[in-house]
Amino acid sequence: MQDLIELAISATAGGCIYALLALAYLVVLRPTGIINFAVGDWATVAAFAGYLGLSRYELPWAAGMPLVIVLAALLGWVTERIAVRPLVERGAPVLAPILALLGMLVVFRESVSLIFGPDPLPVPQPLGYGRIEWGLIAGSYQSFFIMGVTALLFCGTWYFFERTLAGRSFEAVALDRKAAALMGINLRRVTACAFAAGGAIAGLAALLLTPNTSAHYLMGIPLAIQGFTALVIGGVGRIEGALAGGLILSFAEQLTVRYAPIPAGLAQGVPLVLLIGFLLVRPQGLLLARGSSR
Amino acid sequence: MLEVRNLCGGYGGGNVLHGIDLTLAAGQTLALLGPNGAGKSTLMAALTGTLDKRSGSMRFDGREMGEAASHDIVAHGLALVPEGRHMFAPFSVEDNLRLGAIRLHHPTNARLQAQFDGVYRLFPRLAERRNQATGTLSGGEQQMVAIGRALMSAPRLLLLDEPFLGLAPKVVEEIHDALERLRGAGLTMLLVEQKLDIALRFAAQACVMVKGRIMLNESSRALAERADLDQLYFQLARAVDMS
Ligand SMILES: Nc1ncnc2c1ncn2[C@@H]1O[C@H](COP(=O)(O)OP(=O)(O)OP(=O)(O)O)[C@@H](O)[C@H]1O
Ligand SMILES: [Mg+2]
Repeated sequence: MQDLIELAISATAGGCIYALLALAYLVVLRPTGIINFAVGDWATVAAFAGYLGLSRYELPWAAGMPLVIVLAALLGWVTERIAVRPLVERGAPVLAPILALLGMLVVFRESVSLIFGPDPLPVPQPLGYGRIEWGLIAGSYQSFFIMGVTALLFCGTWYFFERTLAGRSFEAVALDRKAAALMGINLRRVTACAFAAGGAIAGLAALLLTPNTSAHYLMGIPLAIQGFTALVIGGVGRIEGALAGGLILSFAEQLTVRYAPIPAGLAQGVPLVLLIGFLLVRPQGLLLARGSSR
Repeated sequence: MLEVRNLCGGYGGGNVLHGIDLTLAAGQTLALLGPNGAGKSTLMAALTGTLDKRSGSMRFDGREMGEAASHDIVAHGLALVPEGRHMFAPFSVEDNLRLGAIRLHHPTNARLQAQFDGVYRLFPRLAERRNQATGTLSGGEQQMVAIGRALMSAPRLLLLDEPFLGLAPKVVEEIHDALERLRGAGLTMLLVEQKLDIALRFAAQACVMVKGRIMLNESSRALAERADLDQLYFQLARAVDMS
């Protein structure tokens, strides 16, 4: 029993990371229609920024974390300027920026490997090493930190989309671009903000993840796939979907590793199997966007 | 108030609009008529800065807006009620209206409230349904939201693209009355219609668009008295083909 609860807590924490990555996809996808695989490498760059700030220069987390997140937001914003806006303004089809962003992924990965080399670099634990033991409930500080921050971020995001005018106008762009433009919503600015927000969220995911895994130049692609899988499982309509998708994916992975009679290496295929399964059987995801009738 | 000169534009492929000239004086109501596919909605998109490709000049209230972005055009006081209503369906009536006021100047609470009150006075039915999702409203009520939403930005020129399309006669009357009241309040309006009877009843001046060109511009009365009214579109189309 103890064992199972501990597994559940670490799976929940892992699921939170996937959920954040899915959310980073979602905030870009909703208003722009762009599936942005650069999410994975925004996370990579942020991970190395975290290494620099928190390990090399030993900034306290309270200062280093906001700094890295602002940097990641800036990275998202610049990415949009370079890889998306020029294409959109020439009237290119939506596939063009998607491919350009895939290209950016290679640019980011290779730049990181040139600067930092191929070895993994550590990022310190925000709360230090240690465990919380609370009756049956037990897990590392980091697991609880991840869950707390993720919960806060999802609440904040929900509030933004449901209760603020800016959030409503983001949603309005997602629902009907033409009508949103007619209201006087600045579509360019919404796109720029969406990419900046996506960068910030991906950066946060990286910061929460790397104390456990270290920063490594190849970490981007698996994160991009896991986040995308969580997104597909949860459905591209709502932010709750990203959270549900992340948790389902993580539990599936960890339960497979633990109980399925297959080599641990094969368990890495779980997201791909889930991804293909969902794309075949339920491409609209578990949760539907509000207002869609299916 | 609005002066359009040699406006051209389209969607990536060839042009749909071929040199549109159009003038609208303050306080005037103008009907824009024309058959399916004439380019009326395309012209509305060009005027609101939402068309992919446009060229030519458009002066609105003393400012050249031929290349202005859609949000600047709204901010400067030109709003469109688009063809097909384009509701933000999951949003409430109130949220739809609030988004209409996103470019309202100095949006203090009092100013916003005054805009809401104005819309609810014009369409009391919307006040009862202010918290209902617009996707669940009837077609007529959605059209009222679409008009109200455009009015929320306090426009000086209101463009309406076929606001009566697909509505029951009783609702058509209701909306017609509302537009009459707006006219009484001095609002300048351009009404796009296919059906001559409604348009000629509402607007003093009418122009007819065929194949991306304005082929006729005269008073509604003169137009209504033409003997060849039934075949007007057909004849004008022939005239375009021959020129
Ligand atoms: N989004 C679009 N992409 C490409 N072509 C379009 C688009 N919208 C309209 N067109 C074309 O532009 C031409 C003019 O269409 P438009 O919708 O402006 O006509 P309309 O006068 O408003 O007709 P209706 O009375 O049926 O609304 C048509 O030939 C149409 O096929
Ligand atoms: Mg039309």
